Amino acid sequence: MLSSVFTKSLWDQRRSLVGWIVAVTAVGVLYAAFYPIINTPDMAAAMDAFPPAMRDAMGFTDMTSAAGYLGSTTFGLLGPVLIIVMGAALGGSAIAGDEEGGRLDLTLAHPVSRWLVLVERFAALIVAMLLTALVLWLALLAISGPAQLGELSVTNLAAASLHLAVFGIFFGALALAVGAATGSRALAFGVLAVVAIGAFFGNNLGPTVQGLEWLRDISPFHYYSGSEPLRNGVALIDLTVLAVAALVLVGLGGLRFDRRDIAV
Amino acid sequence: MSAVIQADGLRKMYGKRRGLDGLDLEVREGEVYGFLGPNGAGKTTTIRILLDLIRPSGGSATVFGIEPRAGGTTLRRRLGYLPGDFTVLGGQTGRELLVYLANLRGGVAFERIAALAERFELDLSVRVGSLSKGNRQKLGVVQAFMHQPELLVLDEPTIGLDPIIQQRFLELLAETHAAGQTVFMSSHILGEVQQSADRVGIVRDGKLVALKDVDDLRRQAARKIEIHFAGPVPAEAFSGIDGLSDVEVADGVLRCRLAGQADQLVKAAARFTVETLTVEEPDLEDLFFSYYGESEPQHAE
Repeated sequence: MLSSVFTKSLWDQRRSLVGWIVAVTAVGVLYAAFYPIINTPDMAAAMDAFPPAMRDAMGFTDMTSAAGYLGSTTFGLLGPVLIIVMGAALGGSAIAGDEEGGRLDLTLAHPVSRWLVLVERFAALIVAMLLTALVLWLALLAISGPAQLGELSVTNLAAASLHLAVFGIFFGALALAVGAATGSRALAFGVLAVVAIGAFFGNNLGPTVQGLEWLRDISPFHYYSGSEPLRNGVALIDLTVLAVAALVLVGLGGLRFDRRDIAV
Repeated sequence: MSAVIQADGLRKMYGKRRGLDGLDLEVREGEVYGFLGPNGAGKTTTIRILLDLIRPSGGSATVFGIEPRAGGTTLRRRLGYLPGDFTVLGGQTGRELLVYLANLRGGVAFERIAALAERFELDLSVRVGSLSKGNRQKLGVVQAFMHQPELLVLDEPTIGLDPIIQQRFLELLAETHAAGQTVFMSSHILGEVQQSADRVGIVRDGKLVALKDVDDLRRQAARKIEIHFAGPVPAEAFSGIDGLSDVEVADGVLRCRLAGQADQLVKAAARFTVETLTVEEPDLEDLFFSYYGESEPQHAE
């Protein structure tokens, strides 16, 4: 585990990574476990009473099918929120956190290039996200019987989990890139919060306002869940859009990181 | 001898704040160079430019004839670096940290790491976070020396080390010197470098204001001398000796200060029965203090 920047980054994060995995999985599983209680005719009637525009804005669409319920809860709200915060924490600490803590000097004084450090830390972030999604998927499979989620296929659950991971990788890349370009974790968090909130409302409200439909097309949320992976499986094009956007962000951050002074 | 580190008119601005203002520097192959100056004079800025952590605003700096930016990883492979503020993650053990850093350099025999750790009485199985500041600094020293680099760049290396460990550090430095490695170390205390350095450069307000050969300095510096004789001696016997000052003779004891050659004094004293003779090593600190106040460059060579 001590042979490269990549493995060492994962090794150093192992405790916090376990924490994130437990948090994301626990929230996902708890939500899912409530499905048998929510899935009643009364609830369906209650949901129908909401104006459709409001249901869309809140992301609650169809609460009476397993795909609709899980897509509105575990994968619709708290899952993405947690994974964004996880992306902020991991991405922000990868370069900016080390720099603010005064630890980056020592690493960069070694025979490793700044690009290598950036890319290997990004790779560690990708692995962390995929691992989190993998555990979430396994946990949902484990409870799918008692939680009456049997109608969801194993592959579609995997697809939704993979979408969540790539979504997290995008936001992690954003925090990593801003942190690498500026050396400021606070700025990385700030930019990420603005983008995340903008993306959420752009995706949910954009289509309801005339002339703002395009907002949805630039929202990462759209590429995360617009294709409804719980029903339709993996949307390769959407994932590619998120992945390419993440790579571009890291590349831009790296260009600046390679040129600038490292703060003491 | 060729220059291992060369800086010409090196400038660094942090926004509007001055870091370096035309620093000239030459560190020769195989020497121990003490880089001295008050806090904020530009020592750390110079060192961080050499490691390519920051980029100069003007002038030039080369290490082994290569600009740090152009030299990249190939150049840094030849260096060992101890940052002025050695900070690492607290959750890892000393062993984990050192093995990792060694691996970034392509590996170092663990026996070498263990031997250095033992020498500094450092327990590598302890978490870094629970080590004292001094013990953490030892880790910094070990990682800088472990791969036996051609050039060591040390920013205030003995900060936080107790006197015994400081002595061990100076021994290690002497071995490094004997092995032909070049050392560039900064300090704000002369006493720390006078034992081991060949030459000392003084930096002030981002410029080199003095460059001295430590042996020359020591020769010029006045030593306190005390000689106890078997019986009373006449004061006149010690008058007119070159370099002798503050002469005081009483009850067969001579106390004086001597700068330069000791020959005349020894011959004068030899006419009497000498019981004990004490010579205090010169304190270069007093001599150097004057340079902190000067602004004109003074070159000894």
